[in-house]
Amino acid sequence: MFNGLIVAALAFLPGEVDAPKPATLARTLAFRADVVYRGDGTSIDDGVILVKEGVITQVGSGLEIPEGAAIVDHDGAISAGLIALHSEDGAGAELYDSTRIVLAEAEARHAFAPEHADFDRALAAGITALVLAPSSSSLIGGQSAVVKTSGGRVVKPAAQLALSLSRDALHTNRFPTSYAGAIEELERRFGEPEGPVARAASGSLPVLIDVNDRAETLRAIGFAQRFGLKGALYGSYWAEEIAPQIAGSGLDVICTPFDVGDDSRSARAVVALAKEGVRLGFGLDAPERHPGSLRFGAAACVRAGLETAKARKALTGDAAAIAGVAGRIGRVARGLDADLVLWSGDPVALTSSIQAVYVDGELVHGGSK
Amino acid sequence: MLPLLQLTLAVTTPACAAPLAPYGLGTEPPVKFAVYADVVYTGTGSKYENAMVVLADGKIAAITPGVEAGDGDVHVAAITPGMVDLSAHIWAGGNSVEETEEVTPAFRVAGTLDPFSRDWDRQLKHGVTTVVANPYDNNCIGGLSVALKTGGAPTIEARTVKADVALRGAMGTQPSSKNHPAAGRPTDFYSRRPTTRMGVEWTWRKAMYDALQAEGDEERAFDGLPELLRALDGDLPVFVQAWATQDIRTAIFLKEEMAREGKPGMRLIIDAGAEAWREIDLVVRTKAAVVLPPFTESGRTTDGAFFAADCAAKLHEKGVPLALSSHNARTVGTYLEHQAAYARRGGLEFDAALAAVTINPARMVGIDDRVGSIEVGKDGDLALWNGTPFELTSRVVGVVLEGELIEDPRGE
Repeated sequence: MFNGLIVAALAFLPGEVDAPKPATLARTLAFRADVVYRGDGTSIDDGVILVKEGVITQVGSGLEIPEGAAIVDHDGAISAGLIALHSEDGAGAELYDSTRIVLAEAEARHAFAPEHADFDRALAAGITALVLAPSSSSLIGGQSAVVKTSGGRVVKPAAQLALSLSRDALHTNRFPTSYAGAIEELERRFGEPEGPVARAASGSLPVLIDVNDRAETLRAIGFAQRFGLKGALYGSYWAEEIAPQIAGSGLDVICTPFDVGDDSRSARAVVALAKEGVRLGFGLDAPERHPGSLRFGAAACVRAGLETAKARKALTGDAAAIAGVAGRIGRVARGLDADLVLWSGDPVALTSSIQAVYVDGELVHGGSK
Repeated sequence: MLPLLQLTLAVTTPACAAPLAPYGLGTEPPVKFAVYADVVYTGTGSKYENAMVVLADGKIAAITPGVEAGDGDVHVAAITPGMVDLSAHIWAGGNSVEETEEVTPAFRVAGTLDPFSRDWDRQLKHGVTTVVANPYDNNCIGGLSVALKTGGAPTIEARTVKADVALRGAMGTQPSSKNHPAAGRPTDFYSRRPTTRMGVEWTWRKAMYDALQAEGDEERAFDGLPELLRALDGDLPVFVQAWATQDIRTAIFLKEEMAREGKPGMRLIIDAGAEAWREIDLVVRTKAAVVLPPFTESGRTTDGAFFAADCAAKLHEKGVPLALSSHNARTVGTYLEHQAAYARRGGLEFDAALAAVTINPARMVGIDDRVGSIEVGKDGDLALWNGTPFELTSRVVGVVLEGELIEDPRGE
C-alpha cells in the first residue's frame, strides 16, 4: 500500500515549497461520519465532507453527494489531521548546530529526510503535519518549517524564528554563559536592520521562544514585549502560576510534551492557560517521544479539566493558526487540504482508535482502498 | 494594663489605646497591627521588655515597652529585626555569571535570578528578610550585586531593595579553576589567564589600572569602566570573596595600592573571610569590613582556609565591621540564625552577634535606611523567636515582612 506513496514522495525534492500535490483521484470523494469535528471547536452530526483533487469542497450535514463520487462511509468521528507544533521527525540531530549561537538564516526545511520512517509513525498517530524546529541549544537556532508527514512536503518554509531563552542555550564554554548575557546578545541581534531577525522584530516573522521554568518564561515575555514580537512560547510545564502574565503577553503557548508518569503540574498548567484565554497547541519532540504522546497529552489535560473542544482545537485548528498555516490545514472547512483522520470516537478519548488517515484526499494509513 | 512608656518617636496615644484587631494568615493585613514580645531587640544595642512593635503601611510605626498582649495577639519570647544576609543562597548557579570574560563589572546578576526558586522561602522562614545576591564567583570581577527582600510578589523588580549595591569579585582559586593554558590551538575561551592566584591578582590589578588610565580619556573607555571607577571612588563597595590568608592579603594590598595611586576611597568588604583572624591588624589598618562564612565542624573551609571558632569575637574586639552569612550554603545548620549561635559560642557577645546579622550587613551595602534595625519609619521586617535568640533551644517561629505576617507563630 505504501509503495506508491513512497514513489510519489521521492518525486519531490526535500524542502521544496508548496510542491504540487501527488496525483489524486480526479473524481469527488465523499466522507460520511456520525460526527465531524471541524477543528474550530464546533462539530457537525451526521456530517458529509466532499473532497476534490485533494481539497475540501464542501462540509455540512445532509449534503447531496454528487453522482459518481467515491463514498467513504465511516461509523465514527472525523477530524482534521493533528498538528504537532514542535518536533524533530526525520531530522534528529540535524536541527542542532552547535557551531554558532546565532544561526538565524538556518532553515529546518533543509534538515529532514522526507521518506524517514518517523513520518510513517506520525501518520499512524493521526499527525498529518508538524513543525520541525531548530534546537533550543542556540540563542537563535534558525527558522522552523511546517511539513506534511505524508511525502514530507513543506507547507510553510520559514514558519517561525526559533529563539531560546532556556538554559539549554547557555553553554559553559562559549558566550553566553548567563541569562543576562543571553538577553544582551538577543537585544543586540534584534537591532539588526535586515534579515530574519529584523523580520521577526517587525512582526512579519513569528518567533518561537523556548523556555523551561517560570523565570525563563517571564524573561522571554519581557523580551518579546520590549520588541513587540508575535509568536509562541514553547514550554508550559511551570506556567500555572504565571498564566495571567502569559495571557497578557499575547503570545501563544506550545505545551511541553507529556510523558506517562508526569505529575499533574503539567496538565494543570495547560488548564490554567486555557482559562486565561491563551491560544494553545501541543509540542511533540518525536522521535525522542512517541507520536502517540501528542494525543495522550491532550487527554491528560482533559482529565485535569480542559474542555474537550479546546483540546481538539489545540490539536488541529489552533495549532495551524500558531504555525501560521490556518488557511491551508487544521480545519475541516471548504478550501483547505483534505487532511482527515477517521476515528472510532472522540480524538481526545484514549479509548478511541485511528481507523484511517487521509492526506490531500489520499488514503495514507489504515482503511481499505 | 501596665503604664505606657512613650518613646521619643513612638506612635500617638490613640493608636496605643485602641485595641488592635487580631490578625492571622490568609487575611488581608490590617492597616495597622502589633506584635508583642517579652523582649524586643532593636539590632542597634537597645532592648525593650514587654514591648509591642506596631506596624502600619508596611513600616514600623512604634515600639512601645511595658504593654501586655491580649488574647489572640501575636506574642513571642523575642523579636529581632528581620535578618540580612549579604552572601545568601539566592543565585542561578553557573548561569548567574558571564564567564566569557574574566572581568565583567557591568554585568548585573539581577537579570539571572529565579523569583520562583524555593531558596527565597527557605531564607524567609528562617527569619532572613533581606539578602544580597551576587554573581557566581567564577569570574575575577563578576559584576553588580543586588539587595532583595526574600518575599513579596515573585518578580525581581518588586523584591529589589536597592540595585547595584556592590561590585562583586573573587580572589583565591575559584575564578581560575576552569581556565587552562592553550596546548596548541585554544579550544574554548577558558584557554586563558588566570590559572593561578598570581594570575587572579594580576587580572584584578590590570582592571583597576585600565580604569585609572582610562579615567577622563574617552578614547580609552571600555565596557565596565564606569563601574570600576565608581568602585575606586568608594561609590560602590568592592565585595570580594577571599577565604584564605593570602587572598585576604591580596585584596587588602590591592586597596592600599589604589590609595597610593590616588584612589583612597575604595571601600572593601571581604566575603567568606575565614582566615581574617590571622591578619586582623591588616584588616584594621585598611578599614575593611568582613563577612564570615558558615562555621564548620572541623574549622576547615574552602581554599584550605582554617576558620577559627573565635574569629568573629576577635574581629569584633578590634572594631572590625562584621557580618555573618550562610555563604551559598543551604544545609541544616548553615542558616544565618545558626551562624550567630556559633559566633556566640566562639565568644561574640550578644549585641554584636545580633548586629552582625542585621544592622552591620545593612550598613555595609548602604541599605540601613530601610532595613537592619527596629526603628520607627524603617521597613516592617521582623523575626519572631520562641526564646532568647541564638540559643540552641531557640529558633525563628514567625516572620513579618513589610508589615505582613508571613509566618504565624501562633500555629506553633
